[in-house]
Amino acid sequence: MRRAAYALLLVMLTFGIFARAFAQDVPYQKILHSDDHPQDWLTYGGNYASQRFSRLAQINTKNVSQLKVAWIYQPSRAVANVETSPIVVDGVMYVTEPPSTVTAIDARTGLRLWSWSPKMPDHLVLIGLYGNSRGVAILDKTVYVGTADAHLVALDAKTGGVKWDVHVADNRFGYSMSGPPLAIDGKVIVGTGGSEAAVRGLLDCYDAKTGKRLWRLWTVPRLGEPGADSWGPGASQSAGGTTWNNGSYDPATNTIYWGTGNPAPDFNDDDRPGDNLYTCSLLAIDANTGKIKWHFQFSPHENHDWDSAEPPVLFDAKIGGKLRHLVALANRNAFYYVLDRDTGEFITGVPFAKETWAKGLDAKGRPILNPNQQPTLGQGTLVYPSITGAVDWPSPSYSPDTGLFYVSAHETGAYYIKGTGEIEPGAPKGIVGGGGVKALAGDQSYGAIRALVATTGKLRWQYKLFSTAWVGTLATAGGLVFSGSDEGNFFALDASTGKPLWQFYMGHGLRSNPVTYALDGKQYVFVTAGNAYVTFTLP
Amino acid sequence: MGPNIQGIPFSLGMEATTNVIKNGMSGGMPAFGGQLSAVQIQHVVQYLLTLRKQDKFKVTGDPAKGKDVYESSGCASCHMIDGQGGDSAPDLSNLGALRAGGYLRTTILYPGSDLPQQHLFLETGGKLDYLFVHLVTKNGRALDGTRVIEDSFRIVIEDARGNFHSFDKSDLRELREEPGKSLMPSYKGKLSDAQVNDLVAYLASLKAAQ
Repeated sequence: MRRAAYALLLVMLTFGIFARAFAQDVPYQKILHSDDHPQDWLTYGGNYASQRFSRLAQINTKNVSQLKVAWIYQPSRAVANVETSPIVVDGVMYVTEPPSTVTAIDARTGLRLWSWSPKMPDHLVLIGLYGNSRGVAILDKTVYVGTADAHLVALDAKTGGVKWDVHVADNRFGYSMSGPPLAIDGKVIVGTGGSEAAVRGLLDCYDAKTGKRLWRLWTVPRLGEPGADSWGPGASQSAGGTTWNNGSYDPATNTIYWGTGNPAPDFNDDDRPGDNLYTCSLLAIDANTGKIKWHFQFSPHENHDWDSAEPPVLFDAKIGGKLRHLVALANRNAFYYVLDRDTGEFITGVPFAKETWAKGLDAKGRPILNPNQQPTLGQGTLVYPSITGAVDWPSPSYSPDTGLFYVSAHETGAYYIKGTGEIEPGAPKGIVGGGGVKALAGDQSYGAIRALVATTGKLRWQYKLFSTAWVGTLATAGGLVFSGSDEGNFFALDASTGKPLWQFYMGHGLRSNPVTYALDGKQYVFVTAGNAYVTFTLP
Repeated sequence: MGPNIQGIPFSLGMEATTNVIKNGMSGGMPAFGGQLSAVQIQHVVQYLLTLRKQDKFKVTGDPAKGKDVYESSGCASCHMIDGQGGDSAPDLSNLGALRAGGYLRTTILYPGSDLPQQHLFLETGGKLDYLFVHLVTKNGRALDGTRVIEDSFRIVIEDARGNFHSFDKSDLRELREEPGKSLMPSYKGKLSDAQVNDLVAYLASLKAAQ
C-alpha cells in the first residue's frame, strides 16, 4: 500500500503535478511523515531516524551515469571548507556558510533569496574547532541555527529576519556550535562543542516559538550528582562529553537519541580515574523532561579523542524472528553497534575498520581492552584507528530496501602521545589536551565506503577510496549510494553491489553530506566541495 | 622551554599545526590567532616546513670536479639545472638549499632508499610523494612511471622520458605500486668513491637565486 502511494507520488512528480508553492511552512506533522514527502529534505538526517534515505528513484542505477550539473552556488566571499547539509522545502534550500551564515537558495536555479549573518565577537574562541556549520533545522515557518559563538537563533523562513536569539553557553570558555539543531513538536534541541577547551557538556531544549529554555541536560555529572563516582576526584571539574553533532528522535516513545564526545583532557587520564560518565555514550532522553532514560557508553574512560557523537540511526528489523526497535551507530572507535532503542540493551557490536585497542566487546558491549594501547610519553604508541577515528562527523545512511548500513570508513592509525593535561580555571588559553598524535607515513592510510548488514554489522561489500574521506553517504530508492572523496570525486555506487556507476570531479575535496530532492518533476542531488554548492540532475 | 619543533608540520599535519599556532596549547604555548593574520600564520607554517632533520655528513669533495662527473654520467639527460638538461626528473637548480650531503650521497648510491614523504595529514593520512607505478591497460599496453597524482577513480603517471599519461582506473587491467623503487639508476659501482663525493659537493653547492 505504501509502495503504491510512493509510485503515485513519483508519477505526480514526473508530470509536475505539484505546484511550487513557496509556502515555507513545515508543521511538525509533515516532518513526522517526511518519508511521504521525498521531494523535500526536512531534517539534517533526512528524517527523525537520521537514515539519510530517500524514496526518490527517478535517478537510478540505469541512468545515473547521465547526471549533469544543474547549478553551482558560491558564497559572496571565499570561505573555508563548506560542511553544510541543507534543508529543502517547497523549492527553497536552506544552507549554512562558515562560520554561521544562513542562506536561502532557490533550489531550481541556485539564486540566493536571502542571507543572514550573525555579529560575531571580536575574539571568537574556537579551540579544537574550525568555525564551521553543518546546517539548520526547520519547524513551521522558522529556521533554527546554532552559531560559532554558541547562540541559538530563530529566523523567519521567508525573509531571514531574526525572531529570537538566545545565548546558550559562553563562547569565552570555548563553547561553540557547528552541529545543526533538532526541531520536534514545539521544541528545538541543540548541543555544543568545546571538549578541547574542557567545557562541561550540555544539551539544551528550547520552546520553538519563544526561545524559552525548557530543560538543560549536563552530560557529565559533578560531585554529589548521579554518576559522579565514575570520575574519582576528577568529579570536581569533570569536563567533556560535548554534544556537537545532531541527534535522532523516536516520536513513538518521545525519545531523543544524542551522542556525546570524549572526556577532557584528552590523551591524559591521570586526574579522571573511572568510566567518566556520560562521555562517549549514546543518551536516550525524555523529550519532555530532559531526563536520561538509559545510556550506553561505547568507550568507557576514553583516551584517544574517539567521540561518540556520530548520528544514531533508528530502524526496525527482525532479530531472531522478532521485530525489534533498533538504534545503530558506527562509532569513531571502529566498532559498529546495534542496540535496542527502547531499553538500551546491547544486541551486537563488531569492528567495521581496523582497530588494535580492544580484543572485542563483552556480552554487554563493554570493550575488552588490549594492553599497551594507551598514549605514552615520547614517541607515542601506534594505535588503530587514528584520532579522526574509523569515522567522524559525516553521516552514514540506512536503506530499508537493502537492509544495509552505508558508512565511509577510515583505515588509518596514529601514534598517540601523552603530555600534561591539567585543567586550569578560567577561560582556556588553548587546547586542554594532554598530548597529541602523529600521522602514519606513506600510502598506508585509505578509506572505503562499506555496506554493513544493518542488524549484524557483517560486511556485504566495500568500495575502496584513495584516502580517508570526510563525506557522508546518501542512499536512495533508485538503488544508489552517493558519497565523495577527499580528492574531489563525487560518485554513485550500486547500493546492492558497491559497483561504481558514476563520478564527477568537483575540483576540491568534499566535506559534507549529500542530499536529494525533487522539483517540477525532476530529482536533484546536492553536495558541496570547497566553496561550491553544487546540484546535479538528469539532462 | 618548548618542544623541538623540527618536523612538526610533517608529523602533525598542516591543518593541525595551523590550528595550534592559532589557538595555542595547554602548558605554555599561547594562542597567536589574535596577533597574527591567517596569512602570517601560513608563513610561519611554511618556515617550519623548511626545518628538517640534522644531516651530519661532511661535504669534502670538489664541486668543480663534481660538475664534470654530473655532465659525464648522463644526469643531465633527466635532471635540469638552471634551465639546462632534461625535465623527466626533479629540477636540481636549488638542490643544495633543500637537501644535505648525506641524503645526496645515499640517493646517488641507493636511489629508492630515502624517497621524499609528502606532508602528512592527520585528516587523510600520509601519501608518498614519489611512488613507482607499473600499470597494464585492458588492451594490453604496459607502462612504468612515477605517480603524479591519483584519486579513487583516476591516475596520472610520468614515464622515464617525462611524458604524462592519464588513465581511468576502470580502463586498467593491473595497477601495481612499488614503494621504495626509483626510476633513477644506482651509481654504486659505476662511480668511484671520490667521484661520488665530488658529485655530492657539486649538488650541495646548487643554490638558485630566490
